[in-house]
Parts: sequence; C-alpha cells; structure tokens
Amino acid sequence: MKASDLVAVIPELVLLVAACAVLLVEAFSKKDSGEPLGVGRKYWAVGLALLGTLGSVVASLVLLPGESRVTFNSTFVLDEWGIFFNVLFGVAATLAVLMSPAYLQVHRRHLGEYYALLLFTLIGMDLLAGARDFIVFYVALELMAISSYLLAAFFRYRLRSNESALKYFLTGSFASAVLLYGISLVYGQAGATDYWTVGKALGMQGSSAGVLLAVFLVGVGLAFKVSAAPFHMWTPDVYQGAPTPVTAFFSVGPKAAAFSVFISAFIFAFGGAAKDWSVFFIVLAIATMLVGNSVALVQTNVKRMLAYSSIAHAGYMLAGLAAVGWKQDVFPAMGVLVYLAAYTFMNLGAFGILGHLKTQAPSDFDYSLSKLAGLGRRSPWTALLFSLFLISLTGIPGTAGFIGKFWVFSGVVMADLWWLAIIAVLLSAVAAYFYLRVIIYMFFREPEASEPEKVLSARPLSGGMAVAMVVCAVATVIIGVLPARLWDAVTEVFGTFFG
Amino acid sequence: MSLSSDISFPALTLLIFLPTAGALAMLLFMRGRPRAYKTTALVTSLVVFALAVYLAARFRTGTAAFQFQEQADWIAKLGISYHLGVDGISLVLILLTALLSVLAILGSWNSIKDRTLAFFISLLILETGMIGVFAAMDLFLFYVFWEVQLIPMYFIIGLWGGARRVYAAVKFFLYTFAGSVLMLVAIIAVVWWNRKNGGSLTFDILTLQQVGFPTGLAAWSFAAFFIAFAIKVPMFPVHTWLPDAHTEAPTAGSVILAGVLLKMGTYGMIRFCIGFFPEIAVRAILPVLILSVIAVIYGAAMSLVQPDMKRLVAYSSVSHMGFVTLGLFAFNQQGVEGSILQMVSHGILTGALFMMVGFFYDRTHTRLIADYGGMARPMPVAAAFFSLFVLGSLGLPGLSGFVGEFLILVGTFQYAKVFAALASIGIVLGAAYLLWMYQRTMFQQANEKWLTLKDLGAREIITLVPLVVMAVWIGVYPHTFLNMLHAPVDNILSQVQPYLDEQGGAVARLVGSLFGGF
Repeated sequence: MKASDLVAVIPELVLLVAACAVLLVEAFSKKDSGEPLGVGRKYWAVGLALLGTLGSVVASLVLLPGESRVTFNSTFVLDEWGIFFNVLFGVAATLAVLMSPAYLQVHRRHLGEYYALLLFTLIGMDLLAGARDFIVFYVALELMAISSYLLAAFFRYRLRSNESALKYFLTGSFASAVLLYGISLVYGQAGATDYWTVGKALGMQGSSAGVLLAVFLVGVGLAFKVSAAPFHMWTPDVYQGAPTPVTAFFSVGPKAAAFSVFISAFIFAFGGAAKDWSVFFIVLAIATMLVGNSVALVQTNVKRMLAYSSIAHAGYMLAGLAAVGWKQDVFPAMGVLVYLAAYTFMNLGAFGILGHLKTQAPSDFDYSLSKLAGLGRRSPWTALLFSLFLISLTGIPGTAGFIGKFWVFSGVVMADLWWLAIIAVLLSAVAAYFYLRVIIYMFFREPEASEPEKVLSARPLSGGMAVAMVVCAVATVIIGVLPARLWDAVTEVFGTFFG
Repeated sequence: MSLSSDISFPALTLLIFLPTAGALAMLLFMRGRPRAYKTTALVTSLVVFALAVYLAARFRTGTAAFQFQEQADWIAKLGISYHLGVDGISLVLILLTALLSVLAILGSWNSIKDRTLAFFISLLILETGMIGVFAAMDLFLFYVFWEVQLIPMYFIIGLWGGARRVYAAVKFFLYTFAGSVLMLVAIIAVVWWNRKNGGSLTFDILTLQQVGFPTGLAAWSFAAFFIAFAIKVPMFPVHTWLPDAHTEAPTAGSVILAGVLLKMGTYGMIRFCIGFFPEIAVRAILPVLILSVIAVIYGAAMSLVQPDMKRLVAYSSVSHMGFVTLGLFAFNQQGVEGSILQMVSHGILTGALFMMVGFFYDRTHTRLIADYGGMARPMPVAAAFFSLFVLGSLGLPGLSGFVGEFLILVGTFQYAKVFAALASIGIVLGAAYLLWMYQRTMFQQANEKWLTLKDLGAREIITLVPLVVMAVWIGVYPHTFLNMLHAPVDNILSQVQPYLDEQGGAVARLVGSLFGGF
C-alpha cells in the first residue's frame, strides 16, 4: 500500500471519521436530565452525519479524475463509475438522515448510534461500487449487510423490528454463505480474485459447468440482496418492520449497491459467460416482475405494498441486465444506472411521506390504506407530493420513473428481447392499479364517519423532512423533464469504465 | 429554438402551454377567489381559441407540408427533439379542442361545487395535453402528451363524477395505460430498427414515415399502435371502458372525453398506423372494416335499450366512431375526408348532447329517461336546442352529422358495398334511438315535478350557440374544413395507393367471395 492509494478512498475516510465522531460525541454527551433515554434533539449527531454524507459527495466530486485511480494492487478503483455511485449513495443517505430525526424522536429512540450505523452502511456501499476484487467485494458487502441488520433492529423493544432484523440477518447470512461459496469456486478455477484476471482465466474456459456453477452461486447471492424473486421472501417483512426512514434507505441504497456489483463483476469477471448469465437474469427478471407486481395488487398495507413494488422495480432493472448479456452491449446497463438514479428519488420520496405520516400519529397510523382516506382534503400538499411519487413509480411521462423505464426498455428492445419488454410494460400497467389505489383513497374516498377522532391528518412538512421531500420531488420532476444531463453523466461513466 | 418561416413567434408552444400557465397562475395567486380563477380559466381558454383561429386563418391550404413548425433539442443524444407543427388534419382537431375547452369551462361554471379550483386547473392541464398530442411531430413528445392527459382526466372522472366514479376512473386509466405501454414498445422498436439499419437515431415523425419497415416488424408494431388507438377510439371489443367513463364523468368531462379524447385514437391511426405502416394498414382493411361495422350496429343497438340518457349518448359514440374507422380504412378521398369531418362533427354534436343532458341533470338530478316527459312545456328553448342536436346526430341533411356519414358511406360503397349497406343499418337505428329518447323526454305525459323548472339561462344558451353555429356551418358549407383536409389526405392516400393496387384486388375478391353477389 502506498500513501497515494489513500487518495482514492478519501470519500470513505471522510465517512469513517464522521461515523467515529458521532459515536464519540454520543458517548461523551450528557444525557438530558429529566427526559427518558434516547430523547433529545441530537443536533450534534445529525450535523456530523450530514457533514459526513455531504463531505463524501463533495470529496468524490472534487476527485473527479481525468484518469482512473487504480489502487491497493488494483483491487479498488476510483473512476467515474465509482464517483457516480458515491454521489448517488451519498445523496440517498443525506436524504435518509434528513428524514430520521422527527421519526426517531416520536418513537423515543433518537440515539447517535443510528447515524453511525447509517454511515457505516454507506462506507460499505461506496466500497462495493469501487471494488474490482472479489475479496474487497465480499468484505464491503458484509460491512454494508451487518450495519443494515443493526439498523433494522434499531427499535429493539418492538416485536416487528426484532422479527424484521432476525429475518434479515438469517436470510442475509445464508445469501452471503452462498455467495462466498461461489467466490471460492471462482478462485479455484481462476487462481485469482481480481476481476480482470478472473475474467481472462474464466473467459478461456468458456461456459464449462464449473464456471456456470460459480456464476450461478454469485448471482444467487446477489439476487438475495436486490430482493429478486424467488429470493425476495425477506423483503416485505424487513421493509415493513424496520423504522420507515431505514426502510426508505434500504429500498434504494443497498439495492443500488448490489446492482452496481451485478454490473461490474458480471461484465468484467464473468464476461465470457455473458450469454449464460443473461438467461439466468431473464428468468430472474420475469419471476421478480411477476411476483412483485401481482402480490402488491392485494396489499392493503401501504408500506408493504411499497415493499413489493420495490421488488417489481428490481425486476425491471434485472431485465436491463439480461439485455446487457444477451447482446454483450452496455447500452442497457446505462439505462439501469439512469433507472437507479430515478428510482432513488421517487422511492425515497414515497417512503419518506409514509414516515412523515407516521410521525403525525405514531400509535394510530398503521400504514393501512383506509387510514389515508380523505387525506387529499385535509393535507392537500402532503397528498399531492405522495401522488407525484406514486405517478412516477407508475412510469407516467414527465416524471423520473418514465425516463428510467424508457431507457431500460429501450435497451431491452435493442437487444432483440422485445418480448421481455412487452412482459415488462404489461406488468407495469398492472402496477398502475395499486399505485392509483393509494391516490383513490387519498382523494376520492372519505374516511368512515363512525370514528371521526381516528382520522389521520398531517401537519405540513417541516424541518429536515421538508427539505428531503422537496429535493426528492424536484429531482423526480427534473429527471423526468430534462434528463439530458443525467444521460451525459451516465455516458461518461461508461466511457471511462470500459475505455 | 428554430421557427419555420411562416410565423414569427412560437405560436404552437403558446397554444400548448398557455393553459398550463393559466392553471399555475390560478393555483398560486387565486386560491379561495372563485370569481377570479373561473374568469382566468375562461379567458385563458378563449385566448387559446382565438390563437387557434388566427393560425387557421394564416394556414396555407393546398399543401400537405407541416406549418408553423418549431424545433429545439431536447434529449439530443437520443435524437429526441421538441418538434411541433400542424397540417390540415391536426389543425382542424386543435380548433375543435380549443372550442370544446372553452365551452366545457363555461358549461361547468356553476355545476361544480366541490374543489372548484382543482377542477378548472384539471381542465386546463387536460387542454395542454390534448393540443400537444395533435401538434407533436416527435414520437417521444407525442407519447409524453398522450400519457400526460390521462392524469387530469382520471381526476376529473374520479373526483367530480357520478356514483360509480371511482370504478369508471380506474377502468378508463387502466385500459388506456395498458394500450399505450404496448405502443411504447413499438415506438422503441421502430426507432431502433431505423438506427440499426443505417438511419440516424431519431424520433422525428416525418423522418420515420419515410422509412420502409420490414413486414415482420411493421406487422407487430402496427398491432401495438393499433391496439393503443383502438382502445382510445374505442373500437369493439375494447370499448367497454367508454360507457362507464362517459356516464360517470361530470358534464365537462364527458364533453371533452367524447369530443376530443376519442379523436386522439383515430388521429393516431391516421398518423402512425397508416403513416408508418401503409402496407400493413392495407392488409388490415378487412378485419378493421368488420370491427367497425360491428361497432356501428352494436353501439346503436345498445343505445336503443339504455334507460339512462347519458349512457345512451355514450353508446351512440361507439356507433358513430365506428363510422370514423370505417371511412378511414376505405382508403379513398371521400371515405378518409368524411371520417375526419365526422370526427369533428361527432365532437360538436355529441359534446352538445352531453352538455344538454348535463343541463337537464343540473335541474332534475336524474338521468333516467323514465323520470322525464313533457320537458318541452317548461323548457321550450332547451327542447329546441335539444331537437337540433338530436337531428344533427342522427344525420339530418343540412347539419354536420349528415356530411360526414354521407361521405363515409359513399367512400365505403365504392370499396365494399356490403359494408356500406350494413353500416346504414346503424343510421336507421340511430334515428330510432335518438328520436325515441327525444319523444320520451321532451313530449309525452308531462312529469308534474318538472313543470316549474326554469328554462335555459343566458350562460347556458351562450354555451350552446357556438355548437349550433358549427353544426350548421359544417352541414351547409363543409368546404371550409374539407379545404384544409384535401392536401394531407391526398398525401396519405398516395402512400397507401401502391399497396392498395397490390393488395386491394385480393381483399375485394375476398370480400366478394365471403358476401356473395354484393
């Protein structure tokens, strides 16, 4: 290791310092007298966390390199690819931090550790995107995963949170084990762990049974992480049980990180077997879209519905990945990146609104659809924002969701997988039903007259939550109307990535 | 942005986005002041209509070229541009849209009591989407406008509709959305095929019309486009959303739905199904004609048995739009021009009928024919207007309905006599259900309850007069409008002609062998 190697990991070092600082401040800060444990404004912790996440974004942008920084014996690279994801993850984490204080305070669990864990997860995600070696990849994945388990369990006095964390932990470790076994097979056959050497060695073997098994196991391991069917079972329970800001973050951050590895590892290391893993992705994509969309149809709990919807969205992106392998062309992968960016904002927005509603009536609002009845009349702005995110998730033009779908499906059609595109668009028409249903409840229904005192009504958004929601809404509309800049950025990423 | 030489300001952009600007101004500055925002909505739509009329006056007839073009880069890397322009066909439909938008706003002045501001904002945003669809010259832009108008219409039905409004709104949305996502795949497929086979990466409609797509791709893409548009028209058997949506929508919603949204379907067929894939369009003649005739007769037969006035008018739309597709796929001058004229005429007359039903409903709060009777006594003026629209709709010479249907039948007759003969059954049935409804509501035993009702007021009469003027104008002197249509229709027919020569004989023989001596 050279000292110059550290330059490439400055964004991660910033996060590490911030995370440690949050822990120290928390340990040495006086407990507010008279208030129960864990309640307090925590300006310090929130401020340091924001400093960390924004610092990593700024550091990444400042490091925007002319050439790639290949470091640590070429196991880790900071190039425009890595910077794109550092920025995306950093922004997602910033928004999640902004959403959290109100929610945690209402639930009397506003502890500094929360922010430290969020930062550690973020470090794992950043490392994952920059990894060019299976060992780094695995270590980063575990860092991300273990911090996530703890975040899911953050409300440790609540049964649902416990269930969520335990499920997440058990299935997650099982997935890690499968993945590790796949990596060991890779090492056994290639004699190396860095992507390039592996790519060359496996490429010479073509698609032998050993290679296919290795690729399959790594693929299954990652499929757990992106919650692709049939490996999605944990997702609804974990998403429903975890604190809502955490769910919001899980649904975009770790998922996007796993997708970044799906692209980098599969193209570099398993490029020789592209046609074979393409078939794997086609099956995975169809199953995921089918399960996500059809099960979401019957959900009456909005948080759970959004969990299934996020499974469905992973399915659309998997269809894009399938197209990458089918014709060995990276165009669909560029679409996946656009989709990830669009998805980050609209999904964070949708979960964020749910979190906001929960803070308005912590004991009463159980995320069920019927509680939303008539919200459009009582809190028109909150309801309108929620509608914007739902419309974007549906994929109506003028919003980010449409741009993402348009580019991914363009890639799929271009790879001559037009039938896969037709399945995808028809299922996204099915999806319109369950997104619209939420809008129906908010605007077209009135609450049951029998229990007027239980009617949910939200105060206007305020503080960090307001900032986060406005950012999400503006980004959703801007990506939807003027996507040219995002597209240029993605094109540049791929220019250096494969240049 | 680059403008074409025939106009010095971005007229079409103004036409499209003035309503949005008006809606924004209403939202930001006029909340809680009904008089202010209603006036703003009306003035905005009037300005848009005036601008549309100005463009029609400046419009050069006798050429199929697109005029008043505007072009600017949008997503340059993907060949997507903000490209607008109109030919005679789109200009006629834009005029119709602008007129009906004014009348829809005027017609719902007092009838919308709840969330009035949101209602007028929805109407204006809807106008943006509709004009955008007709003016877009870029496929991507077209698709954006096509989908965007779904949202305001969904809210108009769902928020201000009748008892089963939620069901109707969802059905409307899902039907249209399912059709249009298929179209999206077809759009992507034709664009990429063009790119792969030596063309540039472009979504420009004119460029793509020049590309000859291979038969396989063309057939699939034609099918996808056709399904999307057939749902919108709606053609049998995908018409089932229409009776619900039209019946449950508030008056203004029904007027816009029947008047404009249905035309977006037939407009799309002309522009894309026929414009992009003339060969397949010719091959599809027989099935389309059969479906059209079924729609004509089935729609009329369903109208005959409806107990609900609004539902009756809704089903009559299925029948009348069947005429439009019938004439379109006859592929001759009379048929195609007749079907475009019928689109306009149907927009005016059916819009007027929905408006009338709305005025009656405002007073009686029932739409059931059985509840009415003898309305001509308390409301003679209304009865007079109603009779005019009923007669126009059933095809009385001298009113607009006659011209369109007559041209369509002439066109169809030249091509396939049997279809013309079958379609004329629809006209007979049309006379039956419309006159029967008129008799049962306006004459016969007077219902005691309604004897004290007030006749139409000044605002309502002002709303109806333009429709009467248009119905008579088209009925007596259709030349004004046909003049705008000749050149673009010739252009379309010249694209289709080679395939007609090749295929037409075969289809005619098939028709002959299927239907014997006709």
